[in-house]
Amino acid sequence: MKQSASPAAPKIPPTPARPRFSRATVVVVLAGLMLATVTVASVGLGARDISPLEILRIVLHPGAEGYNGDVLWTERIPRTLLGLTVGASLGASGLIMQALTMNPLAEPGVLGVEQGAAVFVVLGILFLDASSVQGYFWMALTGSAVTAVLVFLIGTRTNAGSSTIGLVLAGVAVAAVMSSLITLLVVRDEAVYAHLRFWSVGQLTGRGQFLFQVLPFALSGLVLALPFGRTLNLLSLGDETARGLGIRVERARLASAAVAVLLCAAATAAVGPVAFVGLIAAHAARMLVGADHRWSLPLSMVCGSVLLVGADTAGRLVIDHGEIQVSVMTALVGTPFFVWLARRRDLVRM
Amino acid sequence: MDPSRDTTRDTARDTAAALRTATVARLRGAHRAGVRRATLVACALVLMLLALLVTSVLLGGVKRIPAGDILPAAFGMRTGLADYVIFRIRMPRALAALLAGALFGLAGALYQRLLRNPLATPDIVGISAGAGAGATTMLLFAPAVPFGASLAGLGGAFALVAMVLALSRRRGTMDTYRLILVGIGLSGVCTAYVNYLFTVAGQHGIAQVMRWLVGSVNDATWEGVSTLAGALAVCGLCAALLGRSLGSMALGDQLAQGLGTRVGGARIAALLVGAAAAALATSVTGPIGFVSLISGPIAVRLVGADRSIALAVPIGAVIVLGADVLAQHGPLISPVPTGVLTALLGAPYFVWLILRRRQGATA
Repeated sequence: MKQSASPAAPKIPPTPARPRFSRATVVVVLAGLMLATVTVASVGLGARDISPLEILRIVLHPGAEGYNGDVLWTERIPRTLLGLTVGASLGASGLIMQALTMNPLAEPGVLGVEQGAAVFVVLGILFLDASSVQGYFWMALTGSAVTAVLVFLIGTRTNAGSSTIGLVLAGVAVAAVMSSLITLLVVRDEAVYAHLRFWSVGQLTGRGQFLFQVLPFALSGLVLALPFGRTLNLLSLGDETARGLGIRVERARLASAAVAVLLCAAATAAVGPVAFVGLIAAHAARMLVGADHRWSLPLSMVCGSVLLVGADTAGRLVIDHGEIQVSVMTALVGTPFFVWLARRRDLVRM
Repeated sequence: MDPSRDTTRDTARDTAAALRTATVARLRGAHRAGVRRATLVACALVLMLLALLVTSVLLGGVKRIPAGDILPAAFGMRTGLADYVIFRIRMPRALAALLAGALFGLAGALYQRLLRNPLATPDIVGISAGAGAGATTMLLFAPAVPFGASLAGLGGAFALVAMVLALSRRRGTMDTYRLILVGIGLSGVCTAYVNYLFTVAGQHGIAQVMRWLVGSVNDATWEGVSTLAGALAVCGLCAALLGRSLGSMALGDQLAQGLGTRVGGARIAALLVGAAAAALATSVTGPIGFVSLISGPIAVRLVGADRSIALAVPIGAVIVLGADVLAQHGPLISPVPTGVLTALLGAPYFVWLILRRRQGATA
């Protein structure tokens, strides 16, 4: 009788403590350090190595002449800043998509959303004479939105094992259609084809000049994303609970999905499709601070930046002449990670 | 002895015997009907293939070639323009499309049967991507090696099969969906690598790599055709030898073992044969996507699961040859790489498959 009167009261698991202040400090400092490291590395390393002191001197005296100054101001610094912005956008976009779909494999590249954006950019270039990044952006935004809706509709209605797998399969199918469409559109003109192939391999090379064109879109997306941490926390409790806590579930979902699409479109318009950054950034952020989206969302931006700029810098260094595109580098890092995630037992329902 | 009881027993025995005979007759009849149906379908497919072959060779203008020269030219018995257009360009192209399609169909049906999932085909599981990566490397960096692309494609495919199998195994169990996910992941690396090769390839190499970005039979040669024909002969023979084991494995591993099938060995052999078929086709034409996915289920629908592997071969051939004729001469779209069309046809079918199929359904 006594046992049933106090039903296993002491066995209730302790409520997960929110990250303690000291841990938060550590994370913030660590994030700052990582960002600083990749930034300095990206600005300083390349075909021509420039020492951190030299960088500091040039940055403090913007008017100073010299070859190093030219390299820095016209190429390295814009490229690095662009990488930081795009990486942050992809990271946040990945985290929001994962939270919304409750799917650890969700990510703009894996789900084919970036390919969809790319098709619309190609359409814009071919038929609407889009030539600026702003033009690209609006096309990419339309394409991302259309593709995201399409993939989501297909992915949630599949009978394939689990919704996780269904979404990935839908992404694969849509991406295949989209890349065939790109080929179909551009294949008749070899010069255009070669050019667009280079664009559709996401890279940062020579994209530095786009920084200021893409910055307004990316920054507004990032700023809009920040307050969504709490909403995502509530949504992850399930629709019923979230509704009980006063969230308008449909509206919240739609708004956060719109922000994710906006971020993905800005990134794709600037550098072309780069897969796996959002995937890794989101998981890294959650590994560092746990499931609380108020923390993991900003941190996923930092992780995305660090990953993209780090991969870009590494791509410049691994071969002597020329460089490896950042999307190839992220695929090299991202694929093993994707495979590792896919091997987890809970993903695949037997 | 009561004579009437004896009669009853006799009647019962007679009824049982009659029933047995009827059942056997019905099964035999069904089997014969199945064989007849399969034969009919196969004949129809062969006729379609012949028609497509003729279309593919004749379309695109033969005005300046005398009609009497076309047939001999197809067998290399004329010179000049007829020889050049018919024998050196159109015949190898059409035959490469036909044979590659056959190989893709065979590989797909083998994998679908073996892994009991219509989505688990060599191109979804990443094997074609591995073959493409291997073949591209060879063509770019050592183009002079005879059959180098095919061998490197085989190497890439086998390496990928091994990796996919190793990575999708977990605590002794292997799940088809994990296999598919792992394959999708690994083909990401191969695609990124081929993309990278595209950006470093010189002007000459770009044409080579482009074929591996979207499959095409544009530059098919007789050497490629002979590679494909040899591959089809060998892989087809192996698949035929494995057919019995596969049939019993469809009943489940335990039952198959009871029937005397060495399940482990047969499975590895079938995986390798399928990978080889997909790899050799890919090494000549590049990854012509979704053919291996479509062929098997169409075959199953036409003649049932038992004979589906054999029938997927001509179905794949019809699909690729048809897609190639359309890619060359279709209004508005031509000319495009063949792989673009098969992807545009196949991906919606893929979507339909994942929307429609019930969990656990077999191919």
